[in-house]
Amino acid sequence: MSTLIFWLLFVGFVGVFAAQVATRVRLIAAAPNTFDVDDPGFRVGRWLADVLFQRKTILERPIAGLAHAFVFWGFVAFAGYTSVEFLYGLGIVDLTQAAWFHAYRVAVVPFATAVLAGILYLLVRRAVVRPIALGTHVSLESIVIALFIATLMVTYLLAFRLEEGSTAAVVNWWVHMLVILGFLALIPASKHFHLVLSPVTVFLKSKELGNLPNLDFEKEQVGLETLNDLGSKSVLDAFTCVECGRCQVNCPAWGAGKELNPKAIILQTQDALLAGSRDRKLGEIYSEKVLWQCTTCGACENQCPVGIEHLPILIGSRRGLVSNGDAPAYLGAMYNNLERRSNIWGLGYDQRTKFVQSAELETFDPAKHDVLVWLGCAGSFDADFQKSLKSLFSILRARRVAFGVLAKERCTGDPAKRTGNEYMYQELATANIDDLKSAGVKKIVTSCPHCVKTIGADYAKFGYQVEIVHSSVFVNELLQDAGTRGASGPSEAITYHDPCYLGRYAGKTDEPRALLTRFGADLREPERNRDNPYCCGAGGGLLFADKEEEPGSRISDVRFKQLQATGANTVVTACPFCSIMLKGAQASAGADTQFVDLMTYVDGKLRAIG
Amino acid sequence: MILVIAEQQRGKLNRATWETIVGAQQLDASAITVLVPGASAASVAGELAAANVREVLTVEDAALDPYTPDGFTAALQDAIAQLKPEYVLLPHTYQTRDFAPKLAARLDRAIVTDVTAIKTGTETSFVRPMFQGKLTADVVPQGPAPHFVTFQIGAYRVDQVAKGSAPAPIRALSVTVDPSTIRQQPEAPFQQAKAAVDLSQAERIVSVGRGIKEQANIRIAEELATALGAELAASRPICDSGWLPMERQVGSSGQTVAPKLYLALGISGAIQHLVGMKGSNTIVAVNKDPDAPIFEIADYGIVGDLFEVVPAIIAALKG
Repeated sequence: MSTLIFWLLFVGFVGVFAAQVATRVRLIAAAPNTFDVDDPGFRVGRWLADVLFQRKTILERPIAGLAHAFVFWGFVAFAGYTSVEFLYGLGIVDLTQAAWFHAYRVAVVPFATAVLAGILYLLVRRAVVRPIALGTHVSLESIVIALFIATLMVTYLLAFRLEEGSTAAVVNWWVHMLVILGFLALIPASKHFHLVLSPVTVFLKSKELGNLPNLDFEKEQVGLETLNDLGSKSVLDAFTCVECGRCQVNCPAWGAGKELNPKAIILQTQDALLAGSRDRKLGEIYSEKVLWQCTTCGACENQCPVGIEHLPILIGSRRGLVSNGDAPAYLGAMYNNLERRSNIWGLGYDQRTKFVQSAELETFDPAKHDVLVWLGCAGSFDADFQKSLKSLFSILRARRVAFGVLAKERCTGDPAKRTGNEYMYQELATANIDDLKSAGVKKIVTSCPHCVKTIGADYAKFGYQVEIVHSSVFVNELLQDAGTRGASGPSEAITYHDPCYLGRYAGKTDEPRALLTRFGADLREPERNRDNPYCCGAGGGLLFADKEEEPGSRISDVRFKQLQATGANTVVTACPFCSIMLKGAQASAGADTQFVDLMTYVDGKLRAIG
Repeated sequence: MILVIAEQQRGKLNRATWETIVGAQQLDASAITVLVPGASAASVAGELAAANVREVLTVEDAALDPYTPDGFTAALQDAIAQLKPEYVLLPHTYQTRDFAPKLAARLDRAIVTDVTAIKTGTETSFVRPMFQGKLTADVVPQGPAPHFVTFQIGAYRVDQVAKGSAPAPIRALSVTVDPSTIRQQPEAPFQQAKAAVDLSQAERIVSVGRGIKEQANIRIAEELATALGAELAASRPICDSGWLPMERQVGSSGQTVAPKLYLALGISGAIQHLVGMKGSNTIVAVNKDPDAPIFEIADYGIVGDLFEVVPAIIAALKG
């Protein structure tokens, strides 16, 4: 009798679970396929780190992360126990009396204790502490599920104390099993669906941060316009979200009081998908204004513990808007500059030629030169950043590195790519690739982290492979065996601002620091550093944005205050755009903070040493 | 015969028409006919008749009002068939850019656009800029007449137009246009809301940067602006601090300006500011830092304390 009742309950609850899962799987299957499993070795390694060892969960929030890891490891440890009890309850096979099962049950006790401790901590955190990342209101369903999990553990431990076969033991068993079934039915429609999906999502997450495959204009691809256009990975992402808010609290736009909240973007996607109307415009679902507030710094995507990729949605939607002529006016002016003059400033290339001549640069010749130095829009035209490049040239010359520059450069297309003007990006990119190929370039050094990402990762999507490194990496390597280690003069307090496209995208955080400490700098780390820096506010075309169009503070002002808080009066930057934004913020604040570009700093120290 | 196509809207003549007449007079002053298309053409015909031209024609056809490229092309195609000119000259306005290529293509005749000068001699050629003004080309249109030529705004000075001894005769010309061939249906014209301060139209601008130190000091710049009859503008930090309203910001995230005189006070010249004012005719910079990038593009630079320099300039202007 009890077996029959258990069967009925089992079929009922599993049916509810399956029906909800099927709705979601159908939505994923209906979306254009964007799943990619290239480089399985890398993916397995990352899966082990992020799923099995809970790397991303623990790194940012060690205590909550560890509590979560306890619950996760407990669930894994319990898989066998739960299966055996279900087989028993369904009357299929009774393994509960097997000797190994007794040993297994005892072995799981420490796990049960850890899960109980973990879930109680998380429950208190969610219900009482209520960090902003978890949302403004307490999710009732999360409380219920936390209590479910606690009940599971208590009933599990209680079973050891109860006499086998007693009424109390039977009731205890039923409570345990019913809670599992209830849990199962609650999973698909809640954030706890990540239990099922996140191992898959993490495995499928792109290897590259901010991966945006080229649009194929021959196939009339114009970017994401409606819900229908979202790729299968994005739909999977929407159902995987665990609502932890790591994306939110790390988002510089959200941090500066703007409307953009990456978590809201994912949850809005989820709601819209379930609501059905698949031809709804993404610009309406997310609001166009919000889509233009993203600096493409990549913090959301990089911090997400469950493998969600926000940038393909944000930038993909921008592509859809640009294709319909709905870019903000300030971008129109920048696009004109790119179209007419191939650089973001709209300046004439005679100015680059003047700089090339005054700095006595040679045109690249593979027979004569080891590396090509890519100047970039800033290096070609910004008198301020040209000082930094002159320092780089002086270091290279002193170390006898033979280098040349291209006779002509265009913008790499980074601002066009990140703002969704794919057509313009591809025009610039293919023309640059032709020039780089015909010049016979094998290795590129540049001081612009955006150029590193675009030429290194984005140009590869045209089948063009070239080694490109940031000047900090190249120069650090140059000085490795140069014996210039050693402080000159008293150590000075310096803070280093990691550019997003260097620290986060390229993962180069040690090399710039090595260059600073080599000369005895007393490095003061700001909050948000290394591979999770707070953006300067320039990325994603926002260098050109008007303040009037932005609510909240300027992102650059927020970052400048963080840098000021280190107490160091010298800020070293390694990206021309960070430099422009932060100097602007410094001028607005009327502060006397000194900004020095990394290459200028290194060159100065080398000269002082002699 | 040289046919000049005038441009007018609601009885208001586009002054670039006069410039085109000057160009026509250089080509052959004795054979000019001016054609005024569109509703209320008659009201500007009298004005144009003062020029030394042979005749002024008005074409007031329903097909020309409101303006559509299809209507203009069809009407002018018919007018050209009746008049058989050697040249058709137009001012290089937005409207001309819209219909003239279509008209030339319809007739399968050569068109030379954005012309800045005419070279006469054994062969008449038209000078036009190429590669964004880096080069100029002398273009000789080939093939049968008429040849179409559009003149860059400002190519000729309006005051050089030769006036006739007596007003030229005015005649209405009728054309036939099949209304069903007009595919465009324009909506009512509208003007985009203008910024409260349109710095792009200012002839002189006094612009302040962080070198002004505090908000109270802005009145020095204001005083100078008044003395010069100039508009007051600023770089981003000034507007970010709320010392001047956002609409006075010059630069890549503000307005782009090209005045005759741009006086930069205490502006270091960061690139995002420079790109907003590099088109100014004459740039004068006052800055304490001799290495400030603003001096790279300034025509005149004063390395000095603006609190000393500016009062001296004001005194000189008043004195």
